[in-house]
Amino acid sequence: MMKKITQIVMMLFTVYSFSQTEPIATADVNSIHSTTSINVERGPYLQSGTPTSVIVKWRTNIATESVVNYGTLFSSLTKTEKNLTLITDHQVTLSGLTPNTKYYFNIGNNKGVLSQDLTGDMYVITAPAIGTKQFVRAWILGDPGTANNSQREVRDAYYDYVANAPINNGKTDMMLFLGDNAYNTGKDAEYQNAFFDVYGDMFKKSVAWSCLGNHDGQSADSATQSGPYYDIFTFPTEGEAGGTASGTEAYYSFDYANIHFIILDSHHSSREVGGAMYNWALTDIQNTKNDWIVTLFHHPAYSKGSHDSDEDHRPIEMRENFMPMLEANGVDLVLNGHSHSYERSYFLNGHQGFANTFNPDEISKGGHTVGSTGHGDGKTDSNGAYEKSIEATEGAVYITTGSAGQISGGELNHQAMYLSLNQLGSCVMEVEDDGKGGQNLIVKFIRENNEIDDYFTINKTGIVTPNVVKNKSGQESKILTYLEDSKLITIAVNKNERLKSVKFYNNIGELVKRSRKDTIKISKMSKGLYVVEITTNKKIYTESVTIK
Amino acid sequence: MISKPVTHRALVIITFLLLSVQVFSHGDLTKRINQKTKEIVENPNDFKLYYERGFLYQQHVEFNKAMEDYLRSTSLGNTDKVLMYRIAEVNYLSEDYKNALSSITAYLEVDSINVKAKKLEAQILFKIEAYKESIAAYHYVMKTMVDIRPEDILEYTSIILAENNKNFSKAIDVIDFGLTKVGENTLSLQVKKLEYLKDSGQVEKTIEQYNYFILEYQRKEFWYYQKAAYLVSINKSKDANISLKLATATIEKLDAKFKNMDSILELKQQIKSLESTINN
Ligand SMILES: [Fe+2]
Repeated sequence: MMKKITQIVMMLFTVYSFSQTEPIATADVNSIHSTTSINVERGPYLQSGTPTSVIVKWRTNIATESVVNYGTLFSSLTKTEKNLTLITDHQVTLSGLTPNTKYYFNIGNNKGVLSQDLTGDMYVITAPAIGTKQFVRAWILGDPGTANNSQREVRDAYYDYVANAPINNGKTDMMLFLGDNAYNTGKDAEYQNAFFDVYGDMFKKSVAWSCLGNHDGQSADSATQSGPYYDIFTFPTEGEAGGTASGTEAYYSFDYANIHFIILDSHHSSREVGGAMYNWALTDIQNTKNDWIVTLFHHPAYSKGSHDSDEDHRPIEMRENFMPMLEANGVDLVLNGHSHSYERSYFLNGHQGFANTFNPDEISKGGHTVGSTGHGDGKTDSNGAYEKSIEATEGAVYITTGSAGQISGGELNHQAMYLSLNQLGSCVMEVEDDGKGGQNLIVKFIRENNEIDDYFTINKTGIVTPNVVKNKSGQESKILTYLEDSKLITIAVNKNERLKSVKFYNNIGELVKRSRKDTIKISKMSKGLYVVEITTNKKIYTESVTIK
Repeated sequence: MISKPVTHRALVIITFLLLSVQVFSHGDLTKRINQKTKEIVENPNDFKLYYERGFLYQQHVEFNKAMEDYLRSTSLGNTDKVLMYRIAEVNYLSEDYKNALSSITAYLEVDSINVKAKKLEAQILFKIEAYKESIAAYHYVMKTMVDIRPEDILEYTSIILAENNKNFSKAIDVIDFGLTKVGENTLSLQVKKLEYLKDSGQVEKTIEQYNYFILEYQRKEFWYYQKAAYLVSINKSKDANISLKLATATIEKLDAKFKNMDSILELKQQIKSLESTINN
């Protein structure tokens, strides 16, 4: 009760104080100058969002407790999560949340609220359950951290875009940072100016993810995995957000709806085939069941911008070592930065050589573009969308989009690129239903002047209806019949053969049941996949069955 | 197994050659170097500026120039220990291990508890094949470092095996310790553990480790195949057959979109050819 009163008093106080100082009242309250003089200097910002949890981080000028009040009704934040240790860099995990649900929140200490948004613009919408097929929007920012007007113009152009978007307006499901988030060396103070002070409005309602850029890497120490980059961000290292445990925040993965995101470190970590990051990425991509796969890393696989992917060793190694593996496992979109330009590829596969070896006429193995529309512009209203299906699984678009804070020119003539622009801007990725049982992944390049200078679509068919293979209720052979309802398995061998034995091996190959009968009760067997070895006087048959 | 450290070293050398031969177009670094040079012209006796330019050269993989600037900074009176560390680091990167060792030793006399310096010392000692000393230094790193990376643990085990290529039990202990530090399912460590169990001929535990992957991961087809390949290599073809059957059944149950993926098509081929090996 006390808390509530304090909260209301605080709210009144804040509105009053703003009306005193700012004639054009913004309802956003970042710091409240009360007698306590404890101010929120950074955040709140959201990290590592999952369907059931999110991490809220912020910084205060004076060490104090960490309190997050939250709830699904803006007018009544009935739940509280707190940490009573007196600290300045606060980190509170909200867990046990419901997927796809909007939770309003505010932050403070034991005495009261320190930061809130009176218009209800401070919230987290939890991720949908993994595999959900729904509209998803991600804002993609490469090399933004200049802290200058260009960066702010690019930001504002996106804010305008999302506010007026025809679908789900105002909703940004996530921010994807491609590194070099704060020039010149990713120091904490630089992060304040170029990151928190610029994107604060979005950070309090959209989860931010990032890969490490070379400039971030100058203050962050990979040898000890410390420094501003690692302190500011909290990423899942143990597969908490749906991916494979990497054991490090340098590279990690997460799921959002039916999209799997793989974040690689092209700067510090070894890029060798068979190295720790490679082995992790291989297992991770081969373990996803999601419909879309998006990869982020800083150094561009293809660029002739302010960096040349034919000359720098990091891009070469990422392209030669990682891309064949990621492509063979179905990557759809690759997002890079580093070059301060916008360079967007055709629908590529297997082009690991230098720019001058790119051959659009080569459309087979080791070939370069995929499908009949692969060498087109990928626009539905022009050459047609890039296409993927159950049968045609190859093809990815590579975007080097590092102009969210500055442009730095370059030759901008990489042959694998459909379009290369020396323009400021950021990208938005939107995944939506195509109305025909599939989905479209659409990316737009939004200039600082609000123009959309490029867009394309990857269409994937047959994914909205889940692929239920109605294969005889888990039965996979003619000799063996699984009668699900009566919990029996019957064996019917050829007339001239005599059944000798039936052995069941479980999902790790252990012998768990033997029988000599042709009708076998399986009511006591646990659910799952079994290999059944059927021996007759003439032959051994090996079958499989999934007991449900 | 004896070849392992050699392969590793070869890779390091190749990487190093790649690093040193190519001239990189790091636009912003070049700009910053030029800027520093201008500042140096204005203040030719400022040791801080030489240090700063040296560090830019170092990032630009121009180690000779970096060293020149570092030495100049030292001769102008810079006694900062960070400079001492950088000198050791550049010596290490340019494969001058003797000088690297003497400079890191000098550093550690000033600051004996710096975990980063101890790590560099361990890496230098490894290069000059002083394995026992390297292990001692790395042991300190393991005990002290706050946020160990999986890569550190892997590096430590490779040094342990370089010292004694039969010492799998210690290497596996270190992996297990690492798993408690960075997360029990850390993939790169679990994969390395599998490799060590295999290389040390611990059949039961190797199979258990394959089963760990099979049970832990939602897509199991690749693990079933790898387990089968291992079972074939130890002449357990019957068990291998069951694992291959599980692999095939798992692929059959995959969502259609995965069945035509290049990696799965390749896996199917591998399963076929392993099956034919077993049945011949
Ligand atoms: Fe960069």
